[in-house]
Amino acid sequence: MTTTTPAPATTPTRTRGTGTTATRLLGIATVVMLGWLVAFGLGFSPADRDQDEAVRIMYVHVPTVWVAYVALGVTALCSALYLFTKKHSLGFDRFAGASAEIAVVFMALTLVSGMLWGKITWGVYWAWDARLTSFALLFISTIGYLAVRSLGGSHQQRAKRSAIVGLLVVLEIPLVHWSVRLWNSLHQEPSVLDTDGDVSIEGLMLFSLFVGVIAFTLLYVWLLLHRTRSMAMADLLDDVGLDQALADRRAEGASS
Amino acid sequence: MTDLTPRTRPDGEQPAPRTRRKWLPMVLIAAVLVAGGVMVTQFLRSAIDYYCNVDEIGERSGCDTDRRLRIQGVVDQGSVESAGGDTSFTVSFNEATVPIYYDGEPGGIFKECIPVVVHGTFDEAGTTFLGDRVEVKHSDEYVSVNDERLDEADDLAVDCAA
Repeated sequence: MTTTTPAPATTPTRTRGTGTTATRLLGIATVVMLGWLVAFGLGFSPADRDQDEAVRIMYVHVPTVWVAYVALGVTALCSALYLFTKKHSLGFDRFAGASAEIAVVFMALTLVSGMLWGKITWGVYWAWDARLTSFALLFISTIGYLAVRSLGGSHQQRAKRSAIVGLLVVLEIPLVHWSVRLWNSLHQEPSVLDTDGDVSIEGLMLFSLFVGVIAFTLLYVWLLLHRTRSMAMADLLDDVGLDQALADRRAEGASS
Repeated sequence: MTDLTPRTRPDGEQPAPRTRRKWLPMVLIAAVLVAGGVMVTQFLRSAIDYYCNVDEIGERSGCDTDRRLRIQGVVDQGSVESAGGDTSFTVSFNEATVPIYYDGEPGGIFKECIPVVVHGTFDEAGTTFLGDRVEVKHSDEYVSVNDERLDEADDLAVDCAA
C-alpha cells in the first residue's frame, strides 16, 4: 500500500510505501510456507480414521486460532506498554490496534472453518457449547474494541481508551482455552497444548499442523508490520491536516 | 495568542453546533453488547438441560427422566436401525444402556462405537429417550486411515462400548 504525504506546495510530493526489504523477504517466506501448507495439508498428510478428509480443516482452524490468541496477546502487551510507560507512545497504540484488526479476521476464519468441520463431524454447524460460546464472545468483544478505537477524539484519547478495553478483552482468552475443562463440552480437549504434555496427533498430521502454524504466524507478522505502518501514515495525515487548519486560522487571525 | 474560537459565518450568523457524531462505532458497540447478551442467554438456556452420562440417569441430581436432558454415551455395536427416515439405537456408558429414538438421520460421522450427545426427553414410560438433536463427539485423537487398517484385527477384538 502506498500513500502520498501532503507536503508544502514548494516541495515535490513524496510517495511512501509500507514495504521494506525485510517485509518483502518476510512476504516471500510467508508465500513459501503457505505453499508448503497446501502441499502437506491437502497432499502429503493422510485422511483421518473417523473424520476422513475433514481432518484437513484442522490445518487452517488450529493455526488461525493460534494467531488470534497471539494477536490479542500482542494487543494486550502493547496496550499495557502504552498505559504504563512514561512516554505513552502512540507506536504501541498502533501496534495494539493493528494486531486486534488481524485477530478479528483470523477469528472469523476460525469460526467459519470450525463450523464447516462441525457440520461434517458433529452433524451440526453450531452448538451453544462452552468453547463455541466463549470464543464467539471473544470475537465480538474484539469487534467492540475496534469500535471503541474509532469513536474519535485525539490520538492520545483513542490510545488511552482502547488500551483499557484491550486489556479487558484479553482476559477472556484463558476462559476460552479452559472452557472445555470447566464445562461438559462438545468441543474436544486440546490435542497438542495440553497440560499433561500428551500429543494425540499422528506424526505427519502433526507436522502439517506445525507447517500451518508457522505459515499463518509469518502471515500475521507481515500483516502487522504493514498495517501498523499504514496506521502511522493515517495518523500523520490527521496531524498534518490539523496543523494546516491551525496555521490557516492563525494566519487569518494575524491578518484581521 | 491567536483566537481560535469558532468564527461567525459571512452572513453574520453563528454556525450551527458541530453535530457530526461518530454514530457508526456507537451502533457497533450497541450491537456488540446486544449480541453478547444473546450469546450468554443462549448458552445458559442450553445449559439448563442437564448433561448426563447414561449411567447417571435417574441417579445424579438433575438427571431425572421427567425433564429435558442431554445424554452422553457411546453408540452400541449392531444397535443402529433406520426405518422410514427415523433412527433407533442404544447408547451405553459405564455399563448402563439407554434406547434412543431419533426422528431423522443423524448427521456428521455418526456410526457405531462413537460417542454421541443426544438432546431430548424420555417417553411417558421413562424407558426410551426421544432425541431431537444428535451431536457426534470427536475425541482429541487423530489417527490416519492407514494405521486403522494395520490395527484392524485389534479393533475388531475391542468392545467399543467398554
